[in-house]
Amino acid sequence: MKKWLRNNLWRHALAISVALFSLFPLYLVVISSFNPTGSLNLTSFIPREISFANYTLLFHDPRIPYLTWMKNSLIIAGAVAVLSVVIGAASAFAFSRLRFKGKVSGLKLLLLVQMFPAILAISAVYVIMERVQTFAPGIGLGSKPGLLLVYLGGAMGVNIWLLKGFVDTIPAELDEAAKVDGASPMQIYWLIFIPLATPVLSVVMLLSFIGTFNEFILARLFLVDMPDRTIAVGLQSFIGGQYAANWGPFAAGSIIASVPIVAIFLSLQKYIVNGLTAGSVKG
Amino acid sequence: MKKRLSVVSFAAAAAVALAGFAAVPAHAAGGEIVIWADGQRGPNLQKLMSQKNDWVAGYSFKIVSYSSFDALKAAFDNATEKSGPDIILAANDWVPTAAKAGKLAPVTLTPKVKEQFTAGQLFDLSYKGKLYGLPVDVNNVGMIYNAKLVKSAPKSFGDMVDYYLANKASLKAGLCVAGGGMSWGALGVSTALGAYPYKIKDDGSVDSADPMNATTVAANVSKYLLTSDGKSNGFFPATDTGCKDNFIAGKVPFAIIGNWEWKDYLAKGFAMNLSPVPGTASGTYAPSFGSVSGALLTTYAAKHGVEAGAKTALFNIFGSRTGARMYQKIEGRPAASKDGASFSPTAGQKGFAKVAGITSLPQIGAILNGDKTSYWDALPSFWTAVLVDGKAPATEAAKLAAIYKANLAKGISDL
Amino acid sequence: MLVSVFRGKFALVLKLIFLAATSAILGLLAQHALAQGEFAIAIFLIFAILSINFVYLTSKSIPLKFFLPGLLFLLAFVVGPILYTLAMSGFQYQTGNILSKPEAIEQLIKTGVAQDPDQTIFDVTIGKNKAGEISILYLNTTTNVYAISTEKTRTIEPASGVKMNDFDVPSSSPNFTALTTDELGSLDASIPKLKFFYDGEYYLGLEGFQAASLYKQAIRYDEAKDQFVDLATGDIYKDNGRGNFANVNNKEQFLGSVGWRAPIWFEHYTKLFTEKRLRAPFISVFLWTISFAGLSVLTTFALGLLLALALNKAIRGRRIYRSILILPYAMPSVMSILIWGGMFDTEFGAINNLLGTHIAWFQNAAFARAAVILVNLWLGFPYFYLVASGALQAIPSELSEAAAIDGASPRQIFNKITLPLLLKILSPLLIASFAYNFNNFNLIYLLTGGGPIAQLDGDIAGGTDILISYTYKIAFNEGNSDLGLASAISVIIFLLVASISLYGLKKSKVLEDFA
Repeated sequence: MKKWLRNNLWRHALAISVALFSLFPLYLVVISSFNPTGSLNLTSFIPREISFANYTLLFHDPRIPYLTWMKNSLIIAGAVAVLSVVIGAASAFAFSRLRFKGKVSGLKLLLLVQMFPAILAISAVYVIMERVQTFAPGIGLGSKPGLLLVYLGGAMGVNIWLLKGFVDTIPAELDEAAKVDGASPMQIYWLIFIPLATPVLSVVMLLSFIGTFNEFILARLFLVDMPDRTIAVGLQSFIGGQYAANWGPFAAGSIIASVPIVAIFLSLQKYIVNGLTAGSVKG
Repeated sequence: MKKRLSVVSFAAAAAVALAGFAAVPAHAAGGEIVIWADGQRGPNLQKLMSQKNDWVAGYSFKIVSYSSFDALKAAFDNATEKSGPDIILAANDWVPTAAKAGKLAPVTLTPKVKEQFTAGQLFDLSYKGKLYGLPVDVNNVGMIYNAKLVKSAPKSFGDMVDYYLANKASLKAGLCVAGGGMSWGALGVSTALGAYPYKIKDDGSVDSADPMNATTVAANVSKYLLTSDGKSNGFFPATDTGCKDNFIAGKVPFAIIGNWEWKDYLAKGFAMNLSPVPGTASGTYAPSFGSVSGALLTTYAAKHGVEAGAKTALFNIFGSRTGARMYQKIEGRPAASKDGASFSPTAGQKGFAKVAGITSLPQIGAILNGDKTSYWDALPSFWTAVLVDGKAPATEAAKLAAIYKANLAKGISDL
Repeated sequence: MLVSVFRGKFALVLKLIFLAATSAILGLLAQHALAQGEFAIAIFLIFAILSINFVYLTSKSIPLKFFLPGLLFLLAFVVGPILYTLAMSGFQYQTGNILSKPEAIEQLIKTGVAQDPDQTIFDVTIGKNKAGEISILYLNTTTNVYAISTEKTRTIEPASGVKMNDFDVPSSSPNFTALTTDELGSLDASIPKLKFFYDGEYYLGLEGFQAASLYKQAIRYDEAKDQFVDLATGDIYKDNGRGNFANVNNKEQFLGSVGWRAPIWFEHYTKLFTEKRLRAPFISVFLWTISFAGLSVLTTFALGLLLALALNKAIRGRRIYRSILILPYAMPSVMSILIWGGMFDTEFGAINNLLGTHIAWFQNAAFARAAVILVNLWLGFPYFYLVASGALQAIPSELSEAAAIDGASPRQIFNKITLPLLLKILSPLLIASFAYNFNNFNLIYLLTGGGPIAQLDGDIAGGTDILISYTYKIAFNEGNSDLGLASAISVIIFLLVASISLYGLKKSKVLEDFA
């Protein structure tokens, strides 16, 4: 018993206290979402009354197109996730597995370029998309495909770099063998590499999805019409601004928006952890 | 090699063939006037457009609503010829900046339109002698008191402090800012204590003399807002968070509220017991801002080939009796135009109009925006310094006075 | 069997269809771009079409087949904006200097008019005279006669023939036919520019479709000398080389309200180091950025590692702990940051409530900084918990077993074997995390907005502002935005982050793997 205490007690104590730290804000959001007065006010840890007013508001107030915001976010983030991995994986494969002239300098350049913080290029990107809008309004400023292009393009450097790190961890023996058998790079890519890399690619896809779902500044600037907004921008407008502090609907909206993401994350945590460590654990 | 060539030509031919199907895209639909507005006014404007479709015969309107004033500002800052609006509903203090950026086009009013507005309102939307738009609605704040706690309106600033100190146990604060924030909304408190960013002479021009006496202000701050050991006495909180909730809960007897939010207070059963913030001498009142939001004409309108249409739209919608009344009915803020304002005002609108009538300071962006430090940043910092950080009021007031003085000098040269 | 998909006729046809469709779409866009005069974009699109067809129809370069799409995206949305930012940093590009020079001159001429002293304005109807010229019909209220003005002439119209509309505005006469609303709309591009003849000195300029007022030109632009003359005072305004026309007798006095973006080359960069007003905040923000990023990495890594060590043993409830501990990482961060912002509220915040304090967290620099670090710890520790757990499992157990046999204590084993190995494995991630936090805009922007700012002391940077939020503030500041200076700081940040990362990668020998 004493030995158990010495060996395990500190583990439980630490885990429990950090777990409480993790849960505290989340618990607050949950009780705020049931609080009809709409403030993030902690008067007691146990809610005194439970009201679904905030949830009803989200779905029944015609001024708050909550479901449309949610749909926008899911579509944009989903498309960015899939496309960026489809395009990025091919580039990463080339940088990781193929030999060609200028590879080293290309990689160095890529490394440099992907470090440029996207937020700093905001004016430049705005001007570009504004020009695109004049001849192709469907993919320019203020359109969802336009924002998608910006996300896709802006994250391309980082994505290729990240994917290259993952691709490096996949053993090359199989494609070396295939090469000896006379397979072309295309065949190696589609028939050997892609099946091997699927778990890693899905993880990157998920991370890219979450990253896009979270993006705020560009979405706020690019998509202005009420029904075009993403969930992050829409929810922020509840509490941002001088005239608003509607924590109740914000909390309710955040919970609904987070549940699917948290659920995916928890159910795929094994793969995610493998993916996260893959980049590092090659020693 | 031959095969390759055929392939290339096939692809090229296909591309050209497909491209040929689509005609070169038309320019923006003929005669469409684009109006940008914030998330509150935009939808209301949309409603206005659907109620009457011939504001300018032959033109259609497109309303774009931004999620917040900040987002609207950011987009307008970034806008260029391609994307910019023809008309923007903006705060009056954007006028100098936007005019400097070459984004605004001047308008001249006919006597009929001009008489709808006061000279001060038009001045609010002018920069370097040019008027850039039409006033739409009036923004001001008033001080509301909780009649369940205090029987009658306070006569002086000291009355309020005395009430608070006597009932401190049951109160969270004495006077707080619920609407307009700690610079715009809190001007009344600041001027009550003597801290004016600028003063207006009787003839309506800006007084170039030093607007604020740091010693007087420091003495007033110490007397009314601080305890003997230099800490805040709790009467006036340095932030606006929770003011509304606490006022409604009866924990704060006096609150400064905005004219755009009075409906919330009426709904909670409060009468519009409004007045300006009382001054330190009994029976005097301290001015707060009375500003207008304007519908501004942009230079993009000319580039989009709709300038005459957009100007006409400004006159027909915001300068006409019909337009002002219809918009007023939807928006519910006090209208800027005389016709709009005289149209069946509600208790709240009457109350705020009365407050503005007793005393108000026109909001002059050229002075307030400042040179290095703006009024908007300086005043909240002052509150934080003396009420939160417990710094000496004399030093902080001197800094504030120096900023106001510099801003006034720069503003006057810029007017 | 599957291999056949990649060879033979079927594959070729598929590829051709795909290429043709892509080329067609891009070609269409290029055509539209050309039609709108967007040459840079059109050229890029044509380049894209040519390179795509070349790369996928020849076998000149196999690697290009893989990374061409990524490369095109990079060029358009990363390299392009970087170059644009670089260019902007060499310009006087701020509030008041936003337009191009021709635009500014056009604007100055357009606004450089003066109304007559009485500010006369007439109600008018726009139409055509007998000769078919665009003209206006109005009642001259100063002389009480009806008149028709064209650009060149003014003729008096007898009152008898003039018909008035419902608003008492003259609308037609024997010599004048009003334009229909459709005609007016189609002329809107030219009508506002027309100057109708009045008396030689003044002309009538239209105010919308229904009114015209008396104007005269107040300034004149001399194109040959590139200068303006004030017609009333005779003052001359010359291009001052910094984006404004300045009075030759008073360099501080600029003409009109607009200037243009003028090249000033490296001035922004030198100013950052020579002008104290810019240097002092830049240095203090830079130092805080480094400490913020450093502390963030340190705290998140320490807590993550501690948890990983604690749970690196099959204790009861490990799975549940794990699920709870990664919740902060799984939750969308925009929302959690905003929630934390609410929790730190002075009056209502849960933090003050819990501690029984009344701290104005975001109004005091030290408290605000502590809050920022704490929130970032909450957001970031699960990541390091996850990667450290993974790394711990990757460390071969033989090493520590061998050491244990040699009599080393668990603490010694950790200090001498586990930790160094962990650090070696995780160093690229630690560096990446540092670089990420160096530019952690969302956290600062959404939590504190960079504040508090001691505005009374003339500070322009806030206590929690990191370089990127500071730059954002300079670029998009209300009233005084300076895109040129912001771009210069952006370039400096870029260089800083790049060198930090390159140094780190060199240390961890990642770059050697390239070859």
